[in-house]
Amino acid sequence: MQIAVASGKGGTGKTLLSTSLMKVLADYDPVLIDADVEEPNAGLILRQEVIDTADVNRPVPEINLQKCNFCGKCAEICNFNALVVLADKVLVFNELCHSCGACAYLCPQNAIKEKGHPIGVIEEGRVLSGGTLLTGRLNVGEAQSPPLIKAAKGRRKDAELKIIDCPPGTTCPMIESIRDSDYCLLVTEPTPFGLHDLELSLEATKMLGIPSGLVINRWQGEDEDLAALSNRTGVPILARIPFDSKLAQAYMQGRDPLAAMPVLHSILSDIMNQIKEAIA
Amino acid sequence: MKEILVISGKGGTGKTTLTSSFIHFADNCIACDYDVDASNLSILLQPLNLIDFDFSAGETAWIDEEACISCGLCAELCRFDAIDSHYQVMSLSCEGCGFCAQVCPVQAITMQARPSGRWFCGISQQANTVLFAELRPGEDNSGKLVAQVKSMGRKMAEENQIPLIIADGPPGIGCAVISSMVGVDLIVLVAEPSRSGFHDLQRVSQLMQLRGIKGVLIINKWDLNPEICREMEEWAQKNEIQPLGRIPFSTKIAQSVAEGQIPGSNSDIKEMLFPIWENIVDQLTVV
Repeated sequence: MQIAVASGKGGTGKTLLSTSLMKVLADYDPVLIDADVEEPNAGLILRQEVIDTADVNRPVPEINLQKCNFCGKCAEICNFNALVVLADKVLVFNELCHSCGACAYLCPQNAIKEKGHPIGVIEEGRVLSGGTLLTGRLNVGEAQSPPLIKAAKGRRKDAELKIIDCPPGTTCPMIESIRDSDYCLLVTEPTPFGLHDLELSLEATKMLGIPSGLVINRWQGEDEDLAALSNRTGVPILARIPFDSKLAQAYMQGRDPLAAMPVLHSILSDIMNQIKEAIA
Repeated sequence: MKEILVISGKGGTGKTTLTSSFIHFADNCIACDYDVDASNLSILLQPLNLIDFDFSAGETAWIDEEACISCGLCAELCRFDAIDSHYQVMSLSCEGCGFCAQVCPVQAITMQARPSGRWFCGISQQANTVLFAELRPGEDNSGKLVAQVKSMGRKMAEENQIPLIIADGPPGIGCAVISSMVGVDLIVLVAEPSRSGFHDLQRVSQLMQLRGIKGVLIINKWDLNPEICREMEEWAQKNEIQPLGRIPFSTKIAQSVAEGQIPGSNSDIKEMLFPIWENIVDQLTVV
């Protein structure tokens, strides 16, 4: 089973929820994938022992100038303007390249080979409370996160229970993260921002056909707009986590949220039961 | 004309709260929202007389079923698994590289323009021009849409001799953030005092310094963790990032946002935020 924890808006509690789920579900030997590769935080919350670090590369073209006759075909077919052919040299802009491989395949002189361009690392850690954490960490300055997210999700395919801590937003990195999931937990907050961004995330889960449910974090009693949205879309509200300054403070200070707010344990177990029922 | 960009690395630290308030204090400026994934600035600024424009970037492959001979070459070569077993293109996966169209032996594949989102222009209650955009869920090319909003903002500022652009940035350090930084004079980093907040601040600052842009730091909800707050300020100073202010945890700010109001328009909150804005203006005059 693969559960994605996502939200349109940032800072609504995705990492709080996914790391706490790891503790509550420790008996299942879960794997948590931190797919927020631009700003991965799960490893700062869960205590872990890193057992492996692997570099991740994506292919980019390398021109063999001995073979190249500067015909310009590669620049002509590249839809991302990543190649510029001059009279006696070829410029390659790695940051624009999408690693499609068309230039290497189609070069009439067979002068293009692909080489690995490092984009980040994947760390594998043993979580002290149980389970495994896979953290994708994008190199600063790299623009494209989806290839790294894909690589992180490709590890530990055998795991029975995978939780994915997704990046904020609703566009390609978020889609790459929630893709192939059995269920998507959408974490939101009862503010106009939370509502607006939740509507966009619901469009994304609907497009992919992933069943989803809402968790309202920092709940303070009023959630008419969110309840109306839930009614309209048929996406259920699975839980409301009350606002608690003790929890906020403990989380910021790096203390265990489940110790600061013991009721969180039963809220999370209940969410899991509802997910199991929904996908059964 | 100068441009200020507000970013944070981590999401939910208070970028939009502060950006909207700064726009309120600045009076003559253009407001841009570069968070094209989840645009929130307009919820507080409530611009009127909205005009919207379609935005297309990139292409999607389309396979003509009649012409297709099911040879399978396109699906075999596609690196994005965008062509399914019935030779249909899954547009959410298609990157628009056009490799398939190039290699199809019977020219059954064409590349078509891809509607990716919209961008909007309106006038705020305070008569500032507001520019923001919505990328369609699942779309690529957020950097290009940011660049579109930015170029319109700069053009309007030049044409109307408006001296300042204040922009709300996206979270993270990826393509939208990189695109947001182009041509910016001063970056306001908004951080929350937690291990995660500190970690994310360091990564986004590294990106900022790679681009050679000057940054200043504001710590939001500082009193939730005074110890890390001090640690962050010391770190900032060592890295030539001027700490410009601390904002305490405030239920008034939270309430103002919940009501859809610009926090800085409330006099108690203004008292807290205005001195920080004055510090930013001072810093802007020396860049």
